[in-house]
Amino acid sequence: MTSLVVARARLARTKRQNGVLRFAASVGRTTVSIAATLLGLVTLTFFIGRLLPLDPVIAILGDNVSQEAYDTMYRKLGLDQPLIVQYGLYLKNALSFDFGDALTSGRPVLEDIARVFPATIELATVAVVIGTGIGIPMGVLSAMYRDSLIDHVVRMIGLIGYSTPNFWLGLMGLTVFYASLGWVSGPGRVDFAYEFTIEPGTGFLLIDTALQGQWEAFRNVVSHIVLPASILSFGALAYISRMTRSFMIEQLGQEYVITARVKGMSWARTVWVHAFRNVAVQVVTVVALSYAFLLEGAVLTETVFAWPGFGRYLTNALLAGDMNAVVGCTLLIGIIFVAINLLTDLLYRIFDPRTR
Amino acid sequence: MRMNRISARTHRHHLAATVGAAALTLALDVSAATPPSGLIMAWNIDAISTFDPAQIGEVVTNEIIQNTCDPLVDFDTADETKIVPRLAKSWDVSEDGKQITFHLQEGMKFPSGNKATAGDLAWSLQRVVKLGLGNAATLTEYGFTKGNVDQMFTAPDDATLVMKLDKPYPVTLILQAIAANRVAVLMDRQTIMKNEVNGDLGNKYLATRTECVGPYRLAKWNAGEAVILQANEDYWGKKPALKQILIRHVAEAGTQRLLLEQGDIDVARDLTPEDLADLEKRPGVTIDKVLKPQLLYWNINNADPILSNEKVRLAMRYLIDYDGLAKTVMANIGVPRASFAQIGAVGALDEKEGQPFKLDLEKAKKLLTEAGYPNGFEVSLLIGTHSYVSPLAQSVQENAAKIGVKLKIERMSNAQLFSRVRGREYQTTMQGWQTGVPDAHGNASRQIYNPDNRFEAKQTMFPSWRAAYFSEDANKKVDDALFEKDPAKRVQLYQALQREMMEKGPQAYMFQIYNVAGVRNTLKGWTWNGFRTYYDMTSK
Repeated sequence: MTSLVVARARLARTKRQNGVLRFAASVGRTTVSIAATLLGLVTLTFFIGRLLPLDPVIAILGDNVSQEAYDTMYRKLGLDQPLIVQYGLYLKNALSFDFGDALTSGRPVLEDIARVFPATIELATVAVVIGTGIGIPMGVLSAMYRDSLIDHVVRMIGLIGYSTPNFWLGLMGLTVFYASLGWVSGPGRVDFAYEFTIEPGTGFLLIDTALQGQWEAFRNVVSHIVLPASILSFGALAYISRMTRSFMIEQLGQEYVITARVKGMSWARTVWVHAFRNVAVQVVTVVALSYAFLLEGAVLTETVFAWPGFGRYLTNALLAGDMNAVVGCTLLIGIIFVAINLLTDLLYRIFDPRTR
Repeated sequence: MRMNRISARTHRHHLAATVGAAALTLALDVSAATPPSGLIMAWNIDAISTFDPAQIGEVVTNEIIQNTCDPLVDFDTADETKIVPRLAKSWDVSEDGKQITFHLQEGMKFPSGNKATAGDLAWSLQRVVKLGLGNAATLTEYGFTKGNVDQMFTAPDDATLVMKLDKPYPVTLILQAIAANRVAVLMDRQTIMKNEVNGDLGNKYLATRTECVGPYRLAKWNAGEAVILQANEDYWGKKPALKQILIRHVAEAGTQRLLLEQGDIDVARDLTPEDLADLEKRPGVTIDKVLKPQLLYWNINNADPILSNEKVRLAMRYLIDYDGLAKTVMANIGVPRASFAQIGAVGALDEKEGQPFKLDLEKAKKLLTEAGYPNGFEVSLLIGTHSYVSPLAQSVQENAAKIGVKLKIERMSNAQLFSRVRGREYQTTMQGWQTGVPDAHGNASRQIYNPDNRFEAKQTMFPSWRAAYFSEDANKKVDDALFEKDPAKRVQLYQALQREMMEKGPQAYMFQIYNVAGVRNTLKGWTWNGFRTYYDMTSK
């Protein structure tokens, strides 16, 4: 009897040790994988940047410059060094979070990103909240009433969301809701009148104004963000609703749904409590991917709405041949995707016990 | 009855929607009006990369510097060829014309509180040459070198600056080219040198700030977002009526138009010709335009065996539909100009004589036949990203095709285009060039004069070198005109050179470009000329 207990304890301990080892191995694999991904990303972007026919010296000094001044700046930027030396130096500095100065602003790249990224996070977060809040119910309703008028309307909205350029939607939105109806404020994050009143804080103006109790400024920030966020959310809404519809249609055809209905469970409870729970994991992935794309792909919306965000910063850096800024931004995009993938994996574990 | 019910229901829905929207609007703060003590301007300010007067080379920063850093002398607001006092209240010229002594205003202070002296001004000028960045050429062109600049700019006392010259250049030209330029601004040596890094004379420090004497000071710059100028309380001159100048980055022209129409901004700087045409008819907004010293031209590489032929280049000028383009693509953007000297410059031909060409395919064909190319030829045309250049290139391409000349258009980023041109890696391009002086010499000295045409000489700041154009005779004529003592004769020499260059010159000049802005009528005194915009003269 005693030996059986001891054996069981040993088995439990071994299982625990194996679990810890498996977890450690998993963390190790993930860390190596992330490091390799980021290194690959930096390497690829760095070399592509150097091969592009863009001249950073001209971008800084302009066209009307003597050869002597050109050569001076060329050396100052370290472009006279062999490519591999430039790469090595960049990597060495990057390890200490020094990504160099942006040529277009004269400031450290990290400082620039820290300044523009909150504007994009704020916009993308509001957009994804709107897109998810409307997209998921739309997708579920569409699946529940498949091939009905509701379904057709939802699918039509999805199609429009996919196919209409944000640029055009933005201009139309501004013309109607800002210029004609006056329901929302115009481009920019906040009126100039509040520029000096909001103390620098988190960089998220919704949070900063609320924390500082500046409710008038808060309302102004909301009136500025509501239109671009709604327009930006349209594409996400379309994607989320279509994917949710597709997942739900599959679930609603399962036998357990019929059984639940036969047993007298209400249609709403069957759909929302049972069927939807089974697609929640997939929906989370879709929402997470949408969020990631919104974080790095809001360039056109940011341009139309004069939103000083990350997408526009990256685009301008690309056009100016500002490779320090481009590589820094690319690395950040890589980190966003890696982080969101990790977060999704974590959510999988929470929602789906089979993956634990 | 049923109709009535539906109508009532619809009415209720409409009412509910309206009330809902009104409630939302009341809940949000959507008030739109510009402050009475400030000017709000929408402009694409992406190109700002530094505020160092030794380095800046683009339009937006130049305008900001002009309003935050006073130059020694200034252009008259109404007539840009006339010079008026600014930092210097007066000046004397030595008998041999090789020394100018400037007497500075009194009681000038920097925003830091430091006293501003002639010594600071001499240092500011010397610094530009020593750094050797983009604007050093403004001084080196007139004989200032790293070796002599300390002796050429001196300050015998706090209120006197002496500028020595290696040759007796026309005094007005020197005042326009140097004393009214951004290189001759009064900078806070003490503050800047405290922030020097690795002997950069404060270049890195000035990348994000200004340290000058001027009506405004740079209060805030967020790259790609906004620039805020604050009136300088310690300014020696008349205090500006508007205390703040707020420049918001708005890249999209359509957005700028909406903001202007709504009254959320006072000035829009990047409107399209279509927007300008519409806004001209609207009450409350005025379209203000002024010719700037920028020429758009068909740049021809004279190293190309076909294009080196004068008759071929002349034929190319007859392929440009000046009148047709002026009425369509270039309406509100520019005026036809075939001479290298811009309208309004000293020595420039008048508007009519400076543009004698018109689209004439027969003449172009005849000239090509005389040049030995009766069946035409094939040539490339590189263009950048300016919105109006593409339709101009297509127009020329269409006309050229009618006489057998095949133009292959290649579009690329501006930076890439400049690199190709600076390396002489092109046949033809369409691009702009802006001079810094209201004198024919400004363009003659760069577009015609070529000090050394050898490839290895790398005289890349001369468009004449980039176009591989070299004529000893033309070089001599540029020099003769520069040093001619009699002003009337000097004008004649430039005019003769322009007539000659329109026939034989290296380039085909096409248009002189406007500065255009949409200005709300609530803003008074918007003042500018081809060289400056005066924020301190605006009021509300």
